[in-house]
Amino acid sequence: MSRAITFLTRTRGSFDRAERFGISDFLAYAYLIFGVLIILVPVLWTVMSSIKPQRALDNFDTRVLPYAQVQQEVPGRGLRDVFIHTAPDGTETEVVRAGPARAVSDVAPLDDPAAVFQAPREELRPAEDMRVAVENYLDPILQRNGQENFAFWRYLWNSVFVTVAATVITLVINAMAAFALAKYQFRGRLTFTLLIVATLLIPSSIILVSLFFVVWTFGMFGSLWGVIIPAAATPTGVFLLRQYMLTIPDELLEAARMDAASEWRIFWRIVMPLSLPALSVLAILSVIWRWNDFLWPLIVLISDPRQHTLQIGLTQFSGEFDTNLHYVLAMTVVSLIPITLVFVWLQRFITTGIATTGLK
Amino acid sequence: MTPAAMLMAAIGLLWVGGGTIWLLSRRSYRLWQVPQFLMDLVGFPVELAQAWFGRGGVPYALLLPNMAIFGLFTFAPMILNFYVSGTAGASISLFDRPWVGWDNYARIFNCESIFRPSTCGNEGFGYWTAMGNTLWFVAFQVPIMCVAALATALVLNMSIKGRGFWRAMFFYPVMLSPVVIANIWEWILHRRGMLNEVIGGTQGAVADLAGLNGFDLVVTVILAIVLVVVMERAIRARGDDEPSLAWTGVFAGLFAALTAWANPGSLIGLPSSLWIGVLVGAALFWLVMSGHRLARPALVAAGALAAVQLLAIQFDGVFAFDNYRPINWLVTPNTGWPFAWLVFVFCWSHMGFYMLIILAGLQAIPRDLYEAAKMDATRPVRAFWRITLPLVMPTMTVVIVLCLIRSFQVFDEVYLLTGGGPGRETFMVVQNIYESAFATNTPAYGEAAAGSVLMAVVIAVFTFFQLWITRRQSGL
Repeated sequence: MSRAITFLTRTRGSFDRAERFGISDFLAYAYLIFGVLIILVPVLWTVMSSIKPQRALDNFDTRVLPYAQVQQEVPGRGLRDVFIHTAPDGTETEVVRAGPARAVSDVAPLDDPAAVFQAPREELRPAEDMRVAVENYLDPILQRNGQENFAFWRYLWNSVFVTVAATVITLVINAMAAFALAKYQFRGRLTFTLLIVATLLIPSSIILVSLFFVVWTFGMFGSLWGVIIPAAATPTGVFLLRQYMLTIPDELLEAARMDAASEWRIFWRIVMPLSLPALSVLAILSVIWRWNDFLWPLIVLISDPRQHTLQIGLTQFSGEFDTNLHYVLAMTVVSLIPITLVFVWLQRFITTGIATTGLK
Repeated sequence: MTPAAMLMAAIGLLWVGGGTIWLLSRRSYRLWQVPQFLMDLVGFPVELAQAWFGRGGVPYALLLPNMAIFGLFTFAPMILNFYVSGTAGASISLFDRPWVGWDNYARIFNCESIFRPSTCGNEGFGYWTAMGNTLWFVAFQVPIMCVAALATALVLNMSIKGRGFWRAMFFYPVMLSPVVIANIWEWILHRRGMLNEVIGGTQGAVADLAGLNGFDLVVTVILAIVLVVVMERAIRARGDDEPSLAWTGVFAGLFAALTAWANPGSLIGLPSSLWIGVLVGAALFWLVMSGHRLARPALVAAGALAAVQLLAIQFDGVFAFDNYRPINWLVTPNTGWPFAWLVFVFCWSHMGFYMLIILAGLQAIPRDLYEAAKMDATRPVRAFWRITLPLVMPTMTVVIVLCLIRSFQVFDEVYLLTGGGPGRETFMVVQNIYESAFATNTPAYGEAAAGSVLMAVVIAVFTFFQLWITRRQSGL
């Protein structure tokens, strides 16, 4: 019997020296499951809420599944909510209200709208069906039903443009700087390295005001380039790539120089392909940073609604139409999807990349 | 045309036109080598530097774009900050701004005492309220975040199944944007949102259950059985001399709950005795952890005490809740809830990042140290204090400094969730800078810049103080 318990609860090891699944393992898994629930439940709850019809959200219906009250066109009365009337003898009929909602209100059966009778409130319950409210997503995306102000495709394009352009520029210029610092001996190398370390120590939010002056002076204020260029040079990226490029053997570069390759071609044809793992980590990080960026785009782009990114558009949206919770939640989920997909595919790269660089 | 546009046009023309002529005059390209040509064109300045200055000029050309951006958009603003903080007015043109010297600082410091913002002028009131809130935020945020991240990393460093999955799950919120995080939590914490619904529903269900006949008896019997089992496991775990720490932890939690319910403090007129139970539980935990010889008698004594309390509790009275009145978590003033939830949401969204760094630090600790400790029959707790913590301390220093700097700059989540409210309860420094410079019709850039300089000073002081305190452990 005890051998059976050992067999069932052991975590690893051979049969006779098995470690039992003890209280500390139990506490550890309980902690992990609790933590994952705290992280996942809000996100899943938001996703489930975003497919609920507007009426369910406005009533703060807290059921998980998207129920909505059935509405039906009744001749002579227009579109009315359908209720199910349970008579004292147990028979159920589908009815609509024929008058104002009171403790005892006039209702009319759907089959025979003329036969109005009186029913107390306790005998009526809403007739509900389950329906995925696609319009929460389609209205803002297709810009219909009063959602013309939320220029979804423009916001998406701006976000994608900023993310892609900033990432490409970041990769190229950071790799160039990293290559220079890793593979050349030249006067001032230490100075340049220290300067780059110094930028790590300057938090972005304390230079907000004067960075605004610089960007305005260059005429980039109110344009997407004002978001792309200032953030393109990242100390994190330079160090990440430099550490990696140090492992590339010098002999490879020497061999290429023997063949009279120019330095730029060595960089582009040999060093860049060999640094691909580090470059992909930096690319992922850069995509996350730029896609989620909020404060600086808010300052630079807020004046021109045509230049808003998705993140800014989302806040304007919730400010302008305060009651349209269903659209806010749906668009939140839309902006959550790309980053979640990237994460699901590339989580191993991301987690190991951050663990090895340890910087942001 | 703006200066930048003209500059860009000129550079582009020189780059593309000049580069094409220069390259074509020196190298010959076949038609299928067009990509090769384009690539050479991108690196044309580097090629030029090599042609003019030899290989020695190449690294400077390679560093140029990166350093130019750092110089123009990081170092120049840093210097410019001091200049802007000495000027006044709402003009964006730097030359139109009258020089006022220390005036902006003087107005921020125009207070009887900066610790009581209500005695300040308008600017000082906003700034010092924000600074006080931010310091409170940092004071709560940093320890909670670091302890949570360390605990999670320690658990993930145990031999558990599916470590990659758990690690990824804890990291996931770091990927989400502040806007998404704010929308999610606003939806959860709404007055009629899920959290209130769950609390209300649970309380209602428990109260209904407590109304049943015999509830008191059943709960007493169940808890008595649990208590006996936990005591037994805690005292003679695995047959060696020392009580089991994990079981002691479970027992301490149970003891705290029982004390809170039995409320022995009411005999001497205390409103709540939860903290008595927590203190006794912590003391027990410490006794067992330090391997004190009184650990076992203390456990037995606490067990007897717990049994007495268990018999004294009327469970149907404890669990007879009134109707739950939903709390408006993010809006109700003078409750501390908005602030507490901001700390929680910030932890929720950033903990995974620090956890990953600490986990990497933990995994770098050599395994043989633990095996040597095991040979010497070292208790796991002692191994934690003597091996794990000292060796992970350099990583912890990095994490604490990063966390300190980051939580000092908190803006996105707070601005989107509470907007600094209710009143000014969650008004933070960066929001103060943002609002005085960018969110008004009469922007006060000088004041905002002065605020940024003061904030930079505070951040620098904190960082150096932190590094100085931990310099011995981390070897910095």
